[in-house]
Amino acid sequence: MEMLRTENITMQFGGLTAVKDFNLKLNKGEIVALIGPNGAGKTTAFNMITGVYKPTKGKIYYKGRDITQMAPHSITKLGIARTFQNIRLFKNLSVIDNVLIANHLHVKSNLFEALLRVPKYKNEDRSMMKKSMELLEIVGLIDVKDEKSSSLPYGMQRRLEIARALATKPEVLLLDEPAAGMNPKETEDLTKFIKKIRDDFDLTIFMIEHHMQVVMGISERIYVFDYGITIAHGNPNEIQNNQRVIEAYLGVDDNA
Amino acid sequence: MTSIMFLQHLANGISLGSLYALIAIGYTMVYGILRLINFAHGDIFMMATYFAFFGVFFGLPWYVAFPITILLTVLLGMSVELTAYRSLRDAPKISIMISAIGASFLLENLAIVIFGGRPKAFPTEEIFTKVIHIGNISIQRLTFIIPVVTAILLIILSYLINKTKTGMAMRAVSKDHETARLMGINIDRTISATFAIGSALAAIGGVMWGLKFPQIQPLMGVMPGLKCFIAAVIGGIGSITGAVIGGFFLGVSEIMLVAFFQSMTGYRDAFAFIILIIVLLFKPTGIMGEKISEKV
Amino acid sequence: MMKRDYYLTSISLVLLVIFLYFADMYMDAYIIRILNLCAIYTILGLSMNLINGFTGLFSLGHAGFMAIGAYTTAILTLSVDAKVQNFFLEPIAAPLANVVWPFFPALLLAGILSALVGFLIGAPALRLKGDYLAIATLGFAEIIRVVFTNTQNITNGALGLKRIPPYTNLWWSFGIAVFTVIFMALLINSSYGRAFKAIREDEIAAESMGINLFKHKVMSFTIGAFFAGVGGGLLGNLLGTIDPAMFRFTLTFNILLIIVLGGMGSITGTVISAFVVTISLEALRFLDQPIDLGLFVIPGIAGMRMVVFSVLLMLVVLFYRHGLMGTNEFSWDKFLKVLRFKRPLLKGGKN
Repeated sequence: MEMLRTENITMQFGGLTAVKDFNLKLNKGEIVALIGPNGAGKTTAFNMITGVYKPTKGKIYYKGRDITQMAPHSITKLGIARTFQNIRLFKNLSVIDNVLIANHLHVKSNLFEALLRVPKYKNEDRSMMKKSMELLEIVGLIDVKDEKSSSLPYGMQRRLEIARALATKPEVLLLDEPAAGMNPKETEDLTKFIKKIRDDFDLTIFMIEHHMQVVMGISERIYVFDYGITIAHGNPNEIQNNQRVIEAYLGVDDNA
Repeated sequence: MTSIMFLQHLANGISLGSLYALIAIGYTMVYGILRLINFAHGDIFMMATYFAFFGVFFGLPWYVAFPITILLTVLLGMSVELTAYRSLRDAPKISIMISAIGASFLLENLAIVIFGGRPKAFPTEEIFTKVIHIGNISIQRLTFIIPVVTAILLIILSYLINKTKTGMAMRAVSKDHETARLMGINIDRTISATFAIGSALAAIGGVMWGLKFPQIQPLMGVMPGLKCFIAAVIGGIGSITGAVIGGFFLGVSEIMLVAFFQSMTGYRDAFAFIILIIVLLFKPTGIMGEKISEKV
Repeated sequence: MMKRDYYLTSISLVLLVIFLYFADMYMDAYIIRILNLCAIYTILGLSMNLINGFTGLFSLGHAGFMAIGAYTTAILTLSVDAKVQNFFLEPIAAPLANVVWPFFPALLLAGILSALVGFLIGAPALRLKGDYLAIATLGFAEIIRVVFTNTQNITNGALGLKRIPPYTNLWWSFGIAVFTVIFMALLINSSYGRAFKAIREDEIAAESMGINLFKHKVMSFTIGAFFAGVGGGLLGNLLGTIDPAMFRFTLTFNILLIIVLGGMGSITGTVISAFVVTISLEALRFLDQPIDLGLFVIPGIAGMRMVVFSVLLMLVVLFYRHGLMGTNEFSWDKFLKVLRFKRPLLKGGKN
C-alpha cells in the first residue's frame, strides 16, 4: 500500500534550486533512505514533506490525499512525524514534558475542561502520562525522565527526539540523520532500534543518513541526491555499484 | 483647497518626511545587522536636541555647537550599544529587547532628571528660520534646507555603504555574523560603526527637528521614534532605500491627513500605527524588504 | 496534590483571610492602598507573564488592555449624577447615561471586552514574529489611548473620569489575585500550558509535534488580555480617577519590570516580584520629592525613581537574566526544606 508520494516537488530559494523534481514513493512498512553529499537538499525535501516549506512546484500525497498546502501541525496530525538534524528539543523542559507535549495534538478536552480538571480531561491526562512513560521505557530514558532535556548527553537527546516523534502516533516517520555523532556501538544499536520500532509501531520510515553502515544495513531502497537532483534510486546493491553515485561521492577526476 | 495650499502642505510633508527618513535609517541599519529594534534610538535623537540646545545656550555659535552635538550623539549611541547590547549578543532575543527598552527608559528619565521635565525653547537661528516668499507661497527656508541636507547625507551614506571597507563589512555582517567573522571582519567594531552612523543621522535629524519644531522635552523622542521605526517597516526593514521611502511616505501622508481631514487631527498619532498594522498584514516584508526565512 | 500540601495550602489561605481582615480594620488607608496595588500588580504581572514568559510572545500592549478594562468598569459603575458632572463638555452617549452596574458584572464585562479586543488584535498580529509583534502590540496600545482621548462622549476624552466609586478593596483585589494564581497554575500545568511552553521553547519543533501555533498563541493572548482588563478595572476603581495619559507605555514598562525581575515563566516569581516592585515603587517616591535633612533640604528630582528602575531592569537582564525564580515554582517540599535549615522564620504563609 502506498503511504507517501511526491510528484516533481521542487524548492527554489531565490535563484537557487535546492531540490528539483523529486519523485518519492513510500510503501507501507518500508525503510527507505535518502543519501547525498552535504548541501544536496535532503533536509529541504523533509521540510517540504512536513509542510515547513511549501514547494515551489509539485504535489505531495499522503495516502492518496493532497497535503501540499497543509500546515505542519495538520500534517503531523494526519500521521507524519519527524526528527531534526540539529536536534530541536524543548531545551528547558523536562524529558517527560517533551514527550507529553507531543501527545497534545490528540487531546480532545477543550481548554475549560482542562482547566476545571473534569474527569474526561483527567482520563486523557492519565493515559497521556502512561503512554509517554512507555515510550521513555522503550528508548531507555525512563531513569532520566525528570532531567532537563538539554542536560542529556547527545545520544540520549537523539533518542528523546525519536520518542517525541513517536508520541504523535505517526504512520510515517522521517528521521533526519539519526546516527549523526554516534560511535560504532551506538550506531549498531540504533540500526536495531529503528528496525524494532518499525515493527512494533507499524511504521514506514524515511531517513536521511550519512553512515553507510546504517543505510546499507536496513534500507530496502535508497534515493541519492546531488545538488538537488535525484541521481539514482534503487536497492542498496544497485546504489553501491552505480557509477554516478560513486562520482558524486568521490568526485570526478577531470585529468584522468 | 487651492493648489498653492496643496504645494505648501506638500513642501511641509516632504520636509517632515526627510526628518523621518534620517531617523528611520538608524532603525533599519541596526535591525539589518542585529535583528533588533533599537528602542533607544528615538531617545538618542532626543538627547541630540538637548546637546544642541545647551551648546547654543552656553554661547557657542551654531556652526560649532551642531558639529559637537553630532559628535556627542555618536558617542552616546556607541555607548548604548556597548553597555546594553554587546554582552547580550548570544542571549535570547526577548532579553535583548528588554534591555533595549530599559536603555530607552533610562535615557528618557535621565533627561528628565538632568534637563528637567518642562519643555525648553530650542534656539532659533535666523538663517534657517527666515520666511521666504515665492509667488503666493510663504515658506520657511528650513523647509527647503531639510530635504537638501537629507539628500546630501543620503549620497554620502550610499558611498559609505557601497564603496568603503566599513560599509562592505556592514553588509557582510548583516548577511551572516559567523561567515563574516571567518572572513576576518571585526564584528564588534562593525556593529559599533553602524550605531555611530545611525546616531550621527539621528543627531542631524534632531538638530533640524529642533529648528523646525522649536520646543524640546525629554519625551519628545518617543513618538517620532516609533513612527520612524514604522517608516522603516513600511519601506522594508533592513533596506536603507526602503527606510527613506517609508519616511517620506509617512511624513507626506501625515501632513496631508491633517490638512485634508481636519476632524481626524486628533487621530494623527494613531495613523502611523494603523498603516503599520495594514502593512504587516498584507506585506510584512515592506516595500523593499527581502524575505528572511528561518533555517530549519 | 499530596494531602499535606492540601492542608498547608488551606491553612495559608485562612491565614491570608485573617490577615486581610485585620488589615482592613486597623491599617491606615495608605498601606491598604499599597496592598491593593500589590494584588492588582500580581494579576497584571501574571497576565503578562502568561503571554511573554510562558508562551514566549513579546507583547507590549498591556496598557491598552488595562485602559479598556479600567474605562469599562468606570463607565459602568459611575453613578448617574457623577456622569453628568464628569461629562460637562459633551454629555455622555445616551445609552450609557443611566447605566449603573454593580462591581462584579462590570469587572467581568471589562475582562470580556478586553479579551475580545485581544482576540481581534491577536488574530492578525500573532501571525507576526518576535519584534514585529512587539511593535504591533505597542502600536495597538497607543491607538487605544488615542481613540480614548478622542471619544469625548464615551470616555470624556483627555479630561478623564473622576469620582469613580472606590469599590476596590482588599477582598476584591486579593480575592481576584488568588483566583488568578490558581487559574494560572491550573492552566500552566495542563496539556494546554505545556503546549504554550513548547511554543516558547521552539516554534518549529512545536509545530512539527502537531501543535497549532496560531490557535494556541491566540488562546494565550486572549486569556492574558482578559486578566489585564480585569486588573485595569480594579485599578480604576481603586484610584477613583482615570485619564488616557495614565495608560502610557510606562505602565506596560512597570509590569514588564515585574515579570523580568521575578523570572519570565514563573508564577511564584511574578507574585513575589509584584509585591517587591510595587512596594519599592512607593517607597522610592521620596527620591522624586524634596528630602528635609533638618539643616538643609535636598530638592526632589522628578524622574530619579524611574532612573533607578530602568537601571534595575537593565542590570537584571544583563547580569541576572533568569530573575528571581527563573522558571522555578514554589512548592511546599522546597519550602519546608528551607525552613528546616533556617528556622525560625516568622513570616510563613502564602506566596
